[in-house]
Amino acid sequence: MVAAGRERVNARRWSERLAVPTAFVLTVAILALVFYYPVLSVLREAVVRAGSLTAAPLVDVLGDPFYTGVAHYLFTAPLSIPAGVLDWIRAGFPSVEFGLFGFTAFQAFLSTLASVVVGLPGAYLLARFEFRGRRTLRSLTILPFVLPSIMVAVGFLAMFGQNGLLNDVLGALGLGQVNLLFTLEIIVLAHAFYNAPLVTRLVTTAWEGVDARRVETARALGAGPFRAFRDIVVPQLLPALLTAALLTFVFTFLSFPIVLALGGLRLATVEVWLYARVQDLELAEAATLGTIETVLSLALTYLYLRYEARQTTASGGTTLPRRALAVGWKTLRDPVRIGLAVYGVGILVLFVGPLVSMVVESVTGPNGLTSAYYEFLLDQQATTAAGTTKPLPAIANSLAFGVGTLALAVPMGIVVSVMATRGGTGSRLAETLMSAPLAVSGVVVGLGLLQTLVFGTTVAGYRFTAGGALAIVVAHAVAAYPFVTRNVTPALAGIDSQLVDSARSLGASRFRTLLDVELPLVWTAVLAGGAFAFAISIGEFDTTVLLAEGVESYTMPVALERYIGNRSLGPSLGPATAMGTVLLLVTAASFLVIERLGGRWEP
Amino acid sequence: MGAVSDTIPDRDRTTADAGVALDDITVDFGGVTALEDVSLSVDEGEFFTLVGPSGCGKTTTLRAIAGFEEPAAGEVHIDGRRVTDLAPERRDVGVVFQHYALFPHMTVRENVAYGLRFRDPPGNVTDDERVDELLSLVDMAGMGEREPEQLSGGQQQRIALARALAPGPDVLLLDEPLSALDARLRERLRVTIREIQQELGITTIYVTHDQSEALAISDRVAVVSGGRIEQVAPPETVYREPRSRFVAEFVGENNLLDGEVTESAPPRTTVDGTPITLPESATVDTGDPVALCVRPEVLSLGESEMVSNATTLTATVEHREFLGDAYRVHCSWNDRSLLVKTDSREPPEGTVTLTVAASDIHLLSDSGR
Repeated sequence: MVAAGRERVNARRWSERLAVPTAFVLTVAILALVFYYPVLSVLREAVVRAGSLTAAPLVDVLGDPFYTGVAHYLFTAPLSIPAGVLDWIRAGFPSVEFGLFGFTAFQAFLSTLASVVVGLPGAYLLARFEFRGRRTLRSLTILPFVLPSIMVAVGFLAMFGQNGLLNDVLGALGLGQVNLLFTLEIIVLAHAFYNAPLVTRLVTTAWEGVDARRVETARALGAGPFRAFRDIVVPQLLPALLTAALLTFVFTFLSFPIVLALGGLRLATVEVWLYARVQDLELAEAATLGTIETVLSLALTYLYLRYEARQTTASGGTTLPRRALAVGWKTLRDPVRIGLAVYGVGILVLFVGPLVSMVVESVTGPNGLTSAYYEFLLDQQATTAAGTTKPLPAIANSLAFGVGTLALAVPMGIVVSVMATRGGTGSRLAETLMSAPLAVSGVVVGLGLLQTLVFGTTVAGYRFTAGGALAIVVAHAVAAYPFVTRNVTPALAGIDSQLVDSARSLGASRFRTLLDVELPLVWTAVLAGGAFAFAISIGEFDTTVLLAEGVESYTMPVALERYIGNRSLGPSLGPATAMGTVLLLVTAASFLVIERLGGRWEP
Repeated sequence: MGAVSDTIPDRDRTTADAGVALDDITVDFGGVTALEDVSLSVDEGEFFTLVGPSGCGKTTTLRAIAGFEEPAAGEVHIDGRRVTDLAPERRDVGVVFQHYALFPHMTVRENVAYGLRFRDPPGNVTDDERVDELLSLVDMAGMGEREPEQLSGGQQQRIALARALAPGPDVLLLDEPLSALDARLRERLRVTIREIQQELGITTIYVTHDQSEALAISDRVAVVSGGRIEQVAPPETVYREPRSRFVAEFVGENNLLDGEVTESAPPRTTVDGTPITLPESATVDTGDPVALCVRPEVLSLGESEMVSNATTLTATVEHREFLGDAYRVHCSWNDRSLLVKTDSREPPEGTVTLTVAASDIHLLSDSGR
């Protein structure tokens, strides 16, 4: 009897010991199938012609002045460059074109600059002042990151566009009109909406990590307040600031829906042009463009990872004390506090303005309040015409894909977290696996998926195809699981290892310990990660827009983008704002539900 | 009531010639009083220690001297200068914190040289020579190009000490500098700190919660409790003649016995009905309540005819702990527990006789219970 009992325990132990490695292998397999394989097939397309390696497509693109501007000489006539530079100097430095890549980098640079300018005062406010709602505000800095970007684009149109709220207000005040639509300014502003909070969050964390004792030591050694700030605080903030700037540059270099909706093809970036090439079925040229773009962003991401790894975290320190933000009547006499108040108003306009404008525009027409745009949505639902984008299937699809993404991304994220916290080869592999999807644009992944799984692929004589819906869910999961991992890994790493050791010595296997001790302790982090995964899926546009092409699997963001182009109700954005409001409601509701369940937004 | 005099009279100190003087300092933290009317006078070149449990106000006192806390009332003087309203950078103090607070983005050399950006080094030396001088002083010569994170905790603390001393401050302030280190290293480094302090003759104020460290290192000790100073005296005096119940129990171990004086000449008391002979020097009146401090090491096991004027108590051994060089014996006597510290011979079990000489008993001047 006793022996048989032991047998059972041992048999269970074997399966339990294999559970985590098996799940990890499955995760890697999914990544390989829906990320690495499609992306590599895009790269392959760019360098293989008729079965042999060739650099011709790459040289074609790089040598085309449309893409690279004056830099095309590097690839077409490198020897003529010195003479060309001399000519340029003799001609008195006339303006120089850098082509599509140059413009993409230029707008990314401006966007990064704007994000830093908007984000830094926020870090100062959050790190050095105490006020009601500070913690909430700090948590909210994560929110823009998960808002559907196409919805934000509609919000910006509603706020800053020709018939937007800003012009309505300016008109009412008799101050004339501004038109920011299809300008670089509105793109840069929208990018700041996404990335300034990132700057704020990273710099705030670094600022809170500054040891007050170090600053005091500098003061005791003779440094004045400003000098101590320059010598001690700034060097600790700079790495965080550079990290945030580098990430912002990568994100805005790859930015797609914002530029597509706010700039159109007139202000196209590489990513938008790439999407246009795919729509024109110029897949080979698209693959080449995608390859160059991916190489550039991978290089930047590598730089970022190298830099991030070198950063040391402060330990055993005392956080700098926070001052009260409001100090009665004296608040109005302090220039710093007045400056922060002005900054607060600006933040309100930039962050709350677009969302409020979208909702307001969705219920107001040229003649005041109207429900015409929502009625339009219902009409679309009722129509039987083929090719109509109906709102209800979009909502149903989005929710279904969201749930599917949750089911896939949460286990994937947990497994990667477990591997990452266990140390050794697995942890380094897990880190690498996690970082790669960050550096590859959604359009490239979507293109790769189209060419491989959706159009079908032949493995060992069998032909596999994956339908639009399945491909979309798996692609969403691959985009979303890093957010689960980002939440769960620090929580797992924070668990006292003695708890795990105690469970092990009491007889629990490593896997049982994970189920019985570790996961119950980090469930809020898992929930928060789940909230992110769901939000990412609901808002995902870049990949979905390609995979939903022609298939009845369009989601809310895709429907939204189609309505932007639909001006059947006049020049206003009406239908798009109505759809955007619906998307906002669904996104907000899903966050509310998960917050009620105890999740937190803080990564 | 008359009590045994327990302090040597305070030397005549004036603010003008003290190394550091605090006059009636009060510090509030949002309505909570952290320090109340604290006055201190530290001699030039003195090694002065503030000791007390955590939260007692000792670190706040140090921070008020350095200028990191602004007192609600009172004055701070350094070397006769009034510095109460001066910013920290204008006070000429060197500070060393528990967690070293080395600047992580600077090398060891840059850390030590940092204060020389604002002040000339003392003596006719260049900045580089001064840094080398300090690195040798803390036994870290040749380590200047290291990064702080490459150093052990003890090494980091030596560098923090060198950095604080480099500009030649008037006062050295040390806030629990050894508390993050392990026991053996702590003992070694405290000898180093004391030697360096003596070599430089610098006025030093040291904060610690470790009473044995305070006794070992200091010229004088201030015992702090609840934002007030309980006693200021040389270590021997604090140990042998604690002024208050708090000091008697916080510094070292003590058996505290409350009794009533039954005779004044020769002085005697009874505790739980047992007569105990008091030191002849005690000036007490019959009927006075008294608090007796009997250190564990002045109680000896067994009867001793050698000791005159002794009291013997019959007690039961409850538990014995071997410490290597001694035994700690927990006895019970009249339902009280008495702690006895003996030499390394194994103490008996069962019923024992404890002997204490009258001259080894200390009476608290403040018998307040």
